Amino acid sequence: MAAKPILDSKQAEEVVQGVLTEVVCTAFANSILVVVTQYGKMGTLVLVEPNVLANDIGRASLATKVLLGKDEILREPRGPGKRTCGSCPPLVHVCAKNLVTFVSQEAGNKPVLLALALKDKSIEGIKAVREVIRSCKVC
Amino acid sequence: MMESPPLPLDAAASAPSRICLHEFSGRLGEQLVHFHLMRLQGSLFLWVGAAPLLSNLAVAMCTPRDSIPVSTSVLGDASDTTSSSLAQRLARKTKKQIFVSYNLENTESNFILLIENRIKEEMTAFPEKF
Repeated sequence: MAAKPILDSKQAEEVVQGVLTEVVCTAFANSILVVVTQYGKMGTLVLVEPNVLANDIGRASLATKVLLGKDEILREPRGPGKRTCGSCPPLVHVCAKNLVTFVSQEAGNKPVLLALALKDKSIEGIKAVREVIRSCKVC
Repeated sequence: MMESPPLPLDAAASAPSRICLHEFSGRLGEQLVHFHLMRLQGSLFLWVGAAPLLSNLAVAMCTPRDSIPVSTSVLGDASDTTSSSLAQRLARKTKKQIFVSYNLENTESNFILLIENRIKEEMTAFPEKF
């Protein structure tokens, strides 16, 4: 009863900044599912969706929405007597956009459902993880 | 295409289990239904459909407070409870956190029973994939 699979999936595993990172990308006709994990689990679910304006045929701006999991603004206190910084961008949203914007664009502005579980959220880490995602291109 | 590079023998015993992809299908109610399964650590992702579309997603997990696992819709029309209830029943059976995306038009209980039975059949035949 084995039929040919209808979903295209690619998987990669790499040690990034000393942390084992697994990536699985699955292509659907209406979206791309990207799982990026350093914990072996799904983690936070973020929907990265293009806002396609009527007159904008080219690059769409992307909106991120946390569907499941942590969604809070990171604030860094600067010590007693000093003002805390103004509201910092939510880390999950920043990571999500940095990781999968290119996936959405290269798939023709499809929404990306990202499952994100990262230990290392440094800029270097994110850039390296992005390359692992790039190696799993499915569309 | 599924790609799953093999682990070297000495590493396989001590390495944490990697994400495992598994595809299967079944002819149910005159329709060819495809199942795409992703096994993660303590959790599962199951997509069910006939065409490659992701239209909803629900998640369920067991709780010590209730014998019935908690479930919720995270994507798509929350008024269609097919994915959540399927996730609930599978969470109960597997004792894992389970994400379910059910993408078929037929949501009748008799048909869902066929779907569940096909999943259980695969669980029995390939328990290491779940």
